[in-house]
Amino acid sequence: MSSLLLAVALLWPLVVAGSTVWCAYQVPAHQRNYVSMLWVSAAWPALLLAYVGEFQWTINAWMLGGYWELNALSRPWLAFTALLWSIAAFHARGYFAGEQRQAQAGDANAQRRLQRLTLFWPLTLLGNLLLIIAQDIASFYLGFALMTFAAYALVVHNGSPAATLGAKAYLVLAVIGEGLILGGFLWAAGTSDTLTLKGVRDTLASADHGVWMALLLWLGLGVKAGVIGLHVWLPLAHPVAPAPASAVLSGAMIKAGLLGWLNVLPLGAQGLSPEMTQLGNIILVAGFAAAFGAALYGVWQQHPKAVLAYSSISQMGMLTALVGVGLVTPSVWATLLPAVILFAGHHALAKGALFMGTSVSEHMPKWPSPLLFLLIALPGISLTGALAAGMFSKWGVKHALYEFEQERIILLLTWAAIGTAALVTACVWRQWQQRHQGGSDSFQWGAWLVALLAALVTPLWLPLPEASVIAPPLKEWVGIIWPFPVGVLSVVVLMLALRRSAISPPPSGDLWWVYSPVAIICISTARSVAGLCGKGKATSVALALKSERAVMGGLLRGLQAEAWMRQHGGGLMMALAVLLALLLMWEGL
Amino acid sequence: MNAAWLPLMTLATSLFAAVAIFSLPEEARRVRTSINLLAAVSKIVLVTLMVGRVSEGYEDTFSFQIVGGVDFVLRADALGVMFAGLSSLLWLCTTIYAIGYLEGAANRKRFFGFFSLCVTSTLGIALSGNLFTFLIFYEMLTLSTYPLVVHSGTAKALAAGRVYLRYTLTAGVVLLLGVVLLYSLTNDHSFASEQGLSPYLDDHRGLLTLIFALLVGGLAVKAAMVPLHGWLPRAMVAPAPVSALLHAVAVVKAGAFGILRVIYDLYGIELSVELGVTTVLAIAASITIIYGSLRAIAQEELKPRLAFSTISQVSYVVLGVSLFGPFGTIGALAHLLHQGLMKVTLFFCAGNYAEELGIHRIDEMDGAGKRMPLTSFAFTVGALGMIGLPPIAGFITKWYLGIGAIQAEMYWVVAVLVASSTLNAIYFLPILHRLWFREGPAHGKGQWPKEQRLGRLETHGWLLWPAVFTAVISIGAGLLAGLPFSPLDWATRVAVGEYLP
Repeated sequence: MSSLLLAVALLWPLVVAGSTVWCAYQVPAHQRNYVSMLWVSAAWPALLLAYVGEFQWTINAWMLGGYWELNALSRPWLAFTALLWSIAAFHARGYFAGEQRQAQAGDANAQRRLQRLTLFWPLTLLGNLLLIIAQDIASFYLGFALMTFAAYALVVHNGSPAATLGAKAYLVLAVIGEGLILGGFLWAAGTSDTLTLKGVRDTLASADHGVWMALLLWLGLGVKAGVIGLHVWLPLAHPVAPAPASAVLSGAMIKAGLLGWLNVLPLGAQGLSPEMTQLGNIILVAGFAAAFGAALYGVWQQHPKAVLAYSSISQMGMLTALVGVGLVTPSVWATLLPAVILFAGHHALAKGALFMGTSVSEHMPKWPSPLLFLLIALPGISLTGALAAGMFSKWGVKHALYEFEQERIILLLTWAAIGTAALVTACVWRQWQQRHQGGSDSFQWGAWLVALLAALVTPLWLPLPEASVIAPPLKEWVGIIWPFPVGVLSVVVLMLALRRSAISPPPSGDLWWVYSPVAIICISTARSVAGLCGKGKATSVALALKSERAVMGGLLRGLQAEAWMRQHGGGLMMALAVLLALLLMWEGL
Repeated sequence: MNAAWLPLMTLATSLFAAVAIFSLPEEARRVRTSINLLAAVSKIVLVTLMVGRVSEGYEDTFSFQIVGGVDFVLRADALGVMFAGLSSLLWLCTTIYAIGYLEGAANRKRFFGFFSLCVTSTLGIALSGNLFTFLIFYEMLTLSTYPLVVHSGTAKALAAGRVYLRYTLTAGVVLLLGVVLLYSLTNDHSFASEQGLSPYLDDHRGLLTLIFALLVGGLAVKAAMVPLHGWLPRAMVAPAPVSALLHAVAVVKAGAFGILRVIYDLYGIELSVELGVTTVLAIAASITIIYGSLRAIAQEELKPRLAFSTISQVSYVVLGVSLFGPFGTIGALAHLLHQGLMKVTLFFCAGNYAEELGIHRIDEMDGAGKRMPLTSFAFTVGALGMIGLPPIAGFITKWYLGIGAIQAEMYWVVAVLVASSTLNAIYFLPILHRLWFREGPAHGKGQWPKEQRLGRLETHGWLLWPAVFTAVISIGAGLLAGLPFSPLDWATRVAVGEYLP
């Protein structure tokens, strides 16, 4: 039964993708329903699968040997991922309603864009699902690659220059990431002859060069998770993607990197080498650097989705730091893991709701504005930890860290929450400035409300182990809530202080604007070197030809001389004979 | 029980086809087509029989003596049958493709005659049981492909043909020198000897290395290893089916296959490691891989880009061989098949674009995905497979090669593999982007260079289906690599059964 459901869960997105292709060829353009209910249902079987229970599957014929599992980690992960994808699909049905009308009216561009999006959406989803249940390297890599490359179509959707740039940045970093992941996997798998993620994890913990493999995998997967330095695609790609696509990019896909870390890094393993602990420290520092840096940079952004992208970097920074804790202080990990899953699940839905909220504020329904903007801000407030599921998730993390006396980390996390609050404030503020009435669709705001609700009550539906969700005791509430008002106030003060000054905001994509000139210089250097090599080759070929001609000329002259000698053989022999005779005569004289 | 007729008949089917085609008049299109297809299908049947026989443990051998001590031997061993299987399957696809491609063109009799001869030679190379027989078919391959390369008869084609002959004939002489030296040393050429050349190691170390250099140097020209690759990009003037066959099975693969034979069957892998030649070979292969990819990036036309990609990809086989160990060997053998499938797909597609839309340059490909979706799908599969992305066959071999490199403790090889994957992505992804994400003539912007409507579908059915078929097989070979008789399974069988200590 579960196997059947698994097959349906994985094949259904393919069926949906197939049906979009079928429609493109069989249904006349003015009747084509791109975001049909069939399309919306792509993630439903997977969602059902997550609630059936824990299972294992082994498929020998599959690539290098398939081994898939729904376990304590992959099951909740599948649940929140599939839920977010389902909600985002509903949202998309409303979001693309206008574009669909254009397409049906005969706008070829709209037709093309929608066709592309509706085809690649279920493929991206399929990759995302596969990488969650995969426990063997090949399936994980397949899911990861499929998701990564198919998502290109989601980012590039509207085809504007900004979208093209965002998609390019996304793709360039994705290719770099894939290379690093492949290197890490090959190294680990070759060292211990394993094909499973668990085997990789054991290898990383015990092998001689384990720390280097871990570094490769951390960086490779970190491209997706937005590790600082590799995060530049996020603020470029997220603002340009359509809202439902940003929601799944920032909510579900960004977590694929994190899931990869949880699967392959030896978190919580005892007896790690000092180098591995050192790597853990680096991860910790990188995580907090991202958490604070993104907050400081993000509040200046103009576009609400760019602010949210920086918020994602900041949140993922906190999660990265927690992963670092798992390497530095392995004993915490067993208690910390459920909290990390809850954090990830809550962030997925909350960030999804925030991104969908950006499309709601652009097409406001006729509700009272204060109520609407309160609702728009709610998931953000929850993210700071001041409310509902956010409190539970914050307390889960803190509780685990308290138990092992990690006060410094708790303090840093609390400060990072100020950054979260500041970013949320900035985002809502920008949305308020750029709000638009009209053009709202019930699917659009309906899905947004569902996402919002699901985010607020995450612990209720996320299939976590028993007793791993703990309600924060009353006396801790102040400690969890205070960063929120402080963050809001700091932004308000900042806005008021800078009201009159005309500071131009820094461009989104920060380091990208450093990387790309460097890359351009490198490429032009390589070009000129290649040009020099080409010239060198041409000269050497010319030289070789010249010497060949010279040698051939010599040979030809030799041949000619030979021919001449042949022709005059008789005379020459005569002359020689006469000469010899003369010599003899002289001798005899 | 020895079914000597089996390898002989397999070889004879295409030889008969060649004779029959040469004796038919130019206009006998239907008869020629029937003979071609009949021969191709019966060859597949015969090869399937051989696969069955080999997996039951038989090694059918056909031999007769030519002069004292020199035998002509055809033997159906596992490695040979693997290569024969690839060439017979792809021969069928390419024949179908060529019939569609040359519809209405001149000199079809000459083309198909030499085409069949070319396949005969390839089969002979696959099944030859000693170095002497190998050499005969190897030279025959050189001569029978020349008319195919220069088929169009233009000045450019003739120049390319001259370059091709210069390279390959010189290489043939070098190879011959190696063969003669080896014979004078051992009086034996067989690929089947158990102990290889190890008895000669103590006394003739230097000579053995020299012979190895001569043999592999001669073979490396056909395998297009840098710096002996110059002929391959020029030979791109040949018609698309010829390029497809040249790149996927016939010429470059014959070189790579020859290197496999020399290392595994003649020298023995342990002796090669002992001589230290494998490390040199690994370095040469790595240089070729990187250099080929770098040059491919710089190409602006589709077929030359694919040609440089072949230069890079074929050296994966050589790289795998030089990694002493089970995974490297399996990777090398499997890549022989996988690369063939993927590359033939890419060339079929390149031919389709050229025939249907007149596209030769990469910047003309904008939006072709809309006009030719199935061809573009097949091209996408081939390209992603070349990059090494799962679930396409290329991933499987890249994986085995990488694992093999780690187990041989040659970590830099992994760096080469990753770099090559990245470079492949750099030169293939822009093409895919153009196909699917840019707007072009199919969206009402500009015009195709030379559009023809060859068929009811996006192009002539005979051109379309072989490409789609090989693309699907490429996916299947990767996705279901764990099935019995998949390329990976067969490669594992060959490696484990024959070459591993």
